[in-house]
Amino acid sequence: MITPEMLEEPQKVTWCTGCGNFGILAALKKAVIELGKPIHEIVLASGIGCSSKIPHYIGGVNSIHTLHGRPIPIATGIHLANTNLDVIVHTGDGDCLAEGLGHFVHAARRNVDIAVFIHNNGVNGLTKGQYSPAAPRGYVSNTSPPPPGAPMDPVNPMAQAITAGATFVARGFSGDQKGLVNLMLEAIRHKGFAVIDILQPCVTWNRQLTWKYYNEHTYALEETGHDVTNKFKALEKAMENGDRYPVGVFYKVESPDLASGIALPEKGTLKDHTTDLKDVQKIIDDLLL
Amino acid sequence: MTMDITFNIGGAAGQGIDTIGDLLTQVFVQAGFYTFTTKDFESRIRGGYNFTQIRVSDIPIYASVDQIDVIIALSVDAVVGQRDNLSEGGVIIFDESIEFEDLEACHFSAPLEKIAREVGGNVKMMNAAALGAVIAVINFPFELVRQVLTDIFGRKGEKIVAGNVDVAKALYDLTKSNFTGTCKYNLETLEKGSCTDKLILTGNKALALGAIAANVKWISSYPMSPSTSVFQDIVGYSQQLKIGSIQTEDEIASLAMAIGASFAGARSMVTTSGGGFALMVEALGFAAMIETPVVIYNAQRPGPSTGLPTRTEQADLLFMAFSSQGEFPRIILAPKDPVEAFNVATRAFNLADKFQIPVMILGDQYFADSVMNIPRIDVSGVKRDKGKLARSRADPDYKRYLLTEDGISPRAFPGDKGKTIVSAGNVHREDGHITEDAEMRKLMVQKFMNKIPAIMTELNPPQIYGTAQADTTLLTWGSTWGAAYEAVKSLAAKGESINQLHFCDVFPLRTAKLREVFAQSKQVIAVEQNITSQFASLVRMHTGLAVKQHINKYDGRPMTPGWIISELEEGGIV
Ligand SMILES: Cc1ncc(C[n+]2csc(CCOP(=O)(O)OP(=O)(O)O)c2C)c(N)n1
Ligand code: SF4
Ligand SMILES: [Mg+2]
Repeated sequence: MITPEMLEEPQKVTWCTGCGNFGILAALKKAVIELGKPIHEIVLASGIGCSSKIPHYIGGVNSIHTLHGRPIPIATGIHLANTNLDVIVHTGDGDCLAEGLGHFVHAARRNVDIAVFIHNNGVNGLTKGQYSPAAPRGYVSNTSPPPPGAPMDPVNPMAQAITAGATFVARGFSGDQKGLVNLMLEAIRHKGFAVIDILQPCVTWNRQLTWKYYNEHTYALEETGHDVTNKFKALEKAMENGDRYPVGVFYKVESPDLASGIALPEKGTLKDHTTDLKDVQKIIDDLLL
Repeated sequence: MTMDITFNIGGAAGQGIDTIGDLLTQVFVQAGFYTFTTKDFESRIRGGYNFTQIRVSDIPIYASVDQIDVIIALSVDAVVGQRDNLSEGGVIIFDESIEFEDLEACHFSAPLEKIAREVGGNVKMMNAAALGAVIAVINFPFELVRQVLTDIFGRKGEKIVAGNVDVAKALYDLTKSNFTGTCKYNLETLEKGSCTDKLILTGNKALALGAIAANVKWISSYPMSPSTSVFQDIVGYSQQLKIGSIQTEDEIASLAMAIGASFAGARSMVTTSGGGFALMVEALGFAAMIETPVVIYNAQRPGPSTGLPTRTEQADLLFMAFSSQGEFPRIILAPKDPVEAFNVATRAFNLADKFQIPVMILGDQYFADSVMNIPRIDVSGVKRDKGKLARSRADPDYKRYLLTEDGISPRAFPGDKGKTIVSAGNVHREDGHITEDAEMRKLMVQKFMNKIPAIMTELNPPQIYGTAQADTTLLTWGSTWGAAYEAVKSLAAKGESINQLHFCDVFPLRTAKLREVFAQSKQVIAVEQNITSQFASLVRMHTGLAVKQHINKYDGRPMTPGWIISELEEGGIV
């Protein structure tokens, strides 16, 4: 049993007051407790950014705070070396959709059994508010070209994930604790590549995608009778470019995961497997003329 | 008389010259000779001009040479390309379809393709035809050919074996009666050599075997010549031995995945060439920062950029030694040949685990693709040392980066009950959580550096080849060993006072022997497959000792003993 005390933050949280990351951290803690998995079998892998500091604010859980854009391949290696672990990636929109977009698409295509939580605040928070690949067209920031701002459309992580081959795709909102905890649980338990695009207000830099904005512009997808097994409907929802953002599960199907196609031991994990030197000697001797 | 004969099989890519080469090598290895085979090929799949060069001797040989005794040409280019290198008394065998004007007695136009078609019913059997012709020219017993063809094609069924043997025999008989020249080698009397080394390996293959013996459990790579065959071979063994492998989207992901797998407890490696390594550099620093072992193989090719994809150079040494921001320990090992490569691979994994650092194996195309027959590798001596591990009992106070005297903290892995493993690429505390504390920063940097004394004692010293002391010392590292070794041997035989100081473990540099040699020798000559003598630069940086004379090759083609000798002569060194 995991208790809230076990998860107490090992160090002082450095996020700005009111930051959307707090809601994600709170939801993560609840999900970790509810998951029912031994705590030593959970691993968090994060990239670089405000969001990626999350492993330092949750105690007792294994973690690896990696490189900007690279948590997904690192998590892939961890997962395949020990498939008993539940590997959860925390990544920013800059992390995942700029430096990491290639890895994201390939991980989805491989249907690697990890959960990826994108803290999507539309900005590069930690480097002081530059427009991220998720910033809307026209977003004005200190590095976007002269007004009217970012001269390009944002990356659509949901659509990218669905078309690339992810088998669980959802959108969450940091302000909707209950919904987010449930999505996290479902994503972690899902066998295959699971993505949650989490709307996360950055109160310091983003004056456009605010708490107020999201509170007014989100709606529960579940209530619309959406069929989560229909890829084209899911894509349609992901492409919904109107005034309101659907929140909930967009797409969920079963498909062989990456591990099932890798030469892993039948029993036990790769990490605990040892090659028998006799087999190696045989391979060598078979090469002898 | 010692026998030292070189065959050059040339043609276009896709014509099967590799197969003829393999067959020929096997015939001679079977017959008890030493062989050394190099491959010279262009970066293309069809056409062009490629060759395989096989040197055969009854004494150990370690390099290819310039003089060719028998040319087997499947295209005009193959004649034109090598004619000038033909030794006195040499022979050129070519397919009769090649129009050739000034025929000399040493030229033999053979109906290779015709006989393959007529007798074997398959053009592919041209390989066997060529083999039959060559063996007849040097008066070698046909029986060995029969044996080798049976061994090789046995798996494909009796019909294929019989076809190949018949084709080879037809050409053998035809050559015996029609070839009017004489080859300077008549091996009729010299039937069997004394060499019992029956393992035919490239440097790359030996590395792959070393890696599986070392219990590699993870490999993630992206194809890049000349490294790819290591990846292919290990993937080939993966089902049998249970090795996780992925061809990644790029080299950034390759090293990132390998680090992830190693962090979780699996011995991991990546294979690449310089351009791919360039993409790995950020992750290299990450592995160092989180003290997670990983083995990186760079098979060098001439750069910068795409350079010459299928050719050789040793110009990535300083890049490997100093790549990444920040300062941290790393080890670079540069095996000279397949024998050493197997040991280097097993050592690399042990060193990486022991010191929890990245270990790099630095090869090059010449090392990677050259083939030697070596003694059977006995794996019973292979040791697997996982380094310092945390005790398995639960330990709520476990600290992954515990400060210790030797800088090495006991490792534990996610999944270990009762421990929390926390790692970060940021500067971190002993428990792995990040910090900006100045004192902790200093302690963690010192922790890295505290590993170096033990690394130094663990690395192998350089080797002196030839006399213990000499007026002239050739300073070499990695794959240039063989050519320099033979050059030294032949110069010493002529009375020159010359020896060789050779490094396999190139970084961090062990300096004691260098200081000794610089004090003893009148002149130390750097012999390197690059233009700036990168190893000599490293020597100077670490010892202040300056190499004043240099022999550098940077045309992408390997050195030969003859080339080194002529460079030494031209430089007035010998
Ligand atoms: C290779 C590399 N490039 C740039 C940076 C600088 N950097 C740190 S965080 C960051 C952006 C973070 O944005 P995001 O991933 O959205 O995280 P947030 O801070 O918004 O949570 C950048 C560019 C870096 N650490 N590494
Ligand atoms: S800068 Fe933005 S994302 Fe970063 S901690 Fe502050 S509010 Fe949160
Ligand atoms: Mg962001």
